[in-house]
Amino acid sequence: MTARVGIVGVGHTRFGNSSEYDLADVMAYAATDALIDAGILEQRHEVDQVFVANMASGIFCHQTSVASSLVSRMDMEPVPAELIENGPASGASAVKVAYMAIASGMADVVLVVGGEIMRKLTGWEATDTVATMLHTEAEYNMGLTLPSFGGMFARLYMDKYGCTERDLALIAVKDHDNGALNQYAHVQGTCTIDAIHDNVTASVVNNYVAEPLRMYSTCPVTDGAAALVLVNMDSPKAALFKKKAVRIAGVGSATDTHCVHNRKDPLLLDAVRIAGEKAYKMAGIGPKDISFAELHDAFVILELAISEEVGFFDRGKSYLAVRKGETTIHGSLPINPSGGLKSKGHPVGATGVSQVVELVRQLRGEVEEGRQVRDPKYGMSVNFGGFGNNVVAIICAKD
Amino acid sequence: MIDFSMYDVKAPEILGYKCLTCGALHYPAPMICSKCSSRRDPVTGKRWETFPLEGPVTLLTWTRVWNLPEGYNVKYLLFGIVEFENGLRASGRLGVDEPRTGMKLNTRVEESDERPGKPVNVFVFE
Repeated sequence: MTARVGIVGVGHTRFGNSSEYDLADVMAYAATDALIDAGILEQRHEVDQVFVANMASGIFCHQTSVASSLVSRMDMEPVPAELIENGPASGASAVKVAYMAIASGMADVVLVVGGEIMRKLTGWEATDTVATMLHTEAEYNMGLTLPSFGGMFARLYMDKYGCTERDLALIAVKDHDNGALNQYAHVQGTCTIDAIHDNVTASVVNNYVAEPLRMYSTCPVTDGAAALVLVNMDSPKAALFKKKAVRIAGVGSATDTHCVHNRKDPLLLDAVRIAGEKAYKMAGIGPKDISFAELHDAFVILELAISEEVGFFDRGKSYLAVRKGETTIHGSLPINPSGGLKSKGHPVGATGVSQVVELVRQLRGEVEEGRQVRDPKYGMSVNFGGFGNNVVAIICAKD
Repeated sequence: MIDFSMYDVKAPEILGYKCLTCGALHYPAPMICSKCSSRRDPVTGKRWETFPLEGPVTLLTWTRVWNLPEGYNVKYLLFGIVEFENGLRASGRLGVDEPRTGMKLNTRVEESDERPGKPVNVFVFE
């Protein structure tokens, strides 16, 4: 029987601008928080393996080998440590690999740390760095960026299904309402639909970034780190931990064409659908069992598309659920109660880990007042690499 | 002495790839044909043929991007995904200021030196 894998410690820095600090320090701070939360700071050498998620510290910070740096900074030698890179899905990939390490019997306790410092560069340079994940010849060289693909995808979706710019703005309002209550979120303020859409001056406040996406349709450039302690719930080491483990019930991942134009239908996110199906199958549940979800809304249009691909809503109908308030904290299926990437921010290597931290905190019932999902049983995260070409879905359960 | 290499200027082009084993067309270059699994040797190009991607296209979707990366000294650029008459698709820049999804455009390839490194060839559909 495969080992049951649980999460017994979480850590998270305040997302925002940490560009004055060293990446390894920021990651080590979140990791130390996770060890403290797990109650094993002094016994940290009981950790069998460290996995570090990071997308591009070599470019963002001119700093490499961050896994080695992190372990040494935390006085954890000789614990093995490796870097996991899967673009903006590096975080969830590191959680997946940690799960595999425990399930294989190679480790019983694994520390996963995701982090990125993006703001040492200018916004223009950061956009260019993130764009290096695109196909070099056929996309990057053309001048395309991730917002470009977000804009082209949004236009296809809106033209086909009748979703409007106001619907996208409603998602931003919902995400900022949630993020304003999240102590870890980059953007702590709320916004109103009047200010960012309905008012005659809204287009000044909320200018276009990649039409039809506007500033409030797009995540900020963010620094930060998040960490998890995973344990084999059936091993003797499980007795080290006082907090009840939140079980990882399902993990699924899949890839899609590197070039977006080579997809049979550029509006379909096959890797999201397949990753979700795999995670459901492993967990033995379906979309109706999910109590809440953290979805990769680097562009708010993705919150809609991903929620449809993983089966929460029929295709082309998710924006109608947003209009009815079904995805708010108190709705029938809260989406991005953390504020999502839109409000909490998107330090690319940290995001997948941060999403799982939110699943754990919600399932433990320990998030800030006003944004606790009512009696959650299963939480799902979807971490989206590239423009949907490498996706990881994770389902956590409160047993 | 005349250095003839200085006159060796070719019009910029972007290539599509044809698998001669099964006839499937590809862009950009694959390592393995998606239809018949034939391997492409990028050095010799044996059993593969290249051809310039050119001619009329249909615009499938588009965007106007206002936050361009480092190196682009213009207010905005338009980008789109298009389909060639042979069924291949590509992403590139648009040379029209009021694009409409479904409109017919023509293909031009130009050299761009906005990004770091050597100049590269880019599509401009107009």
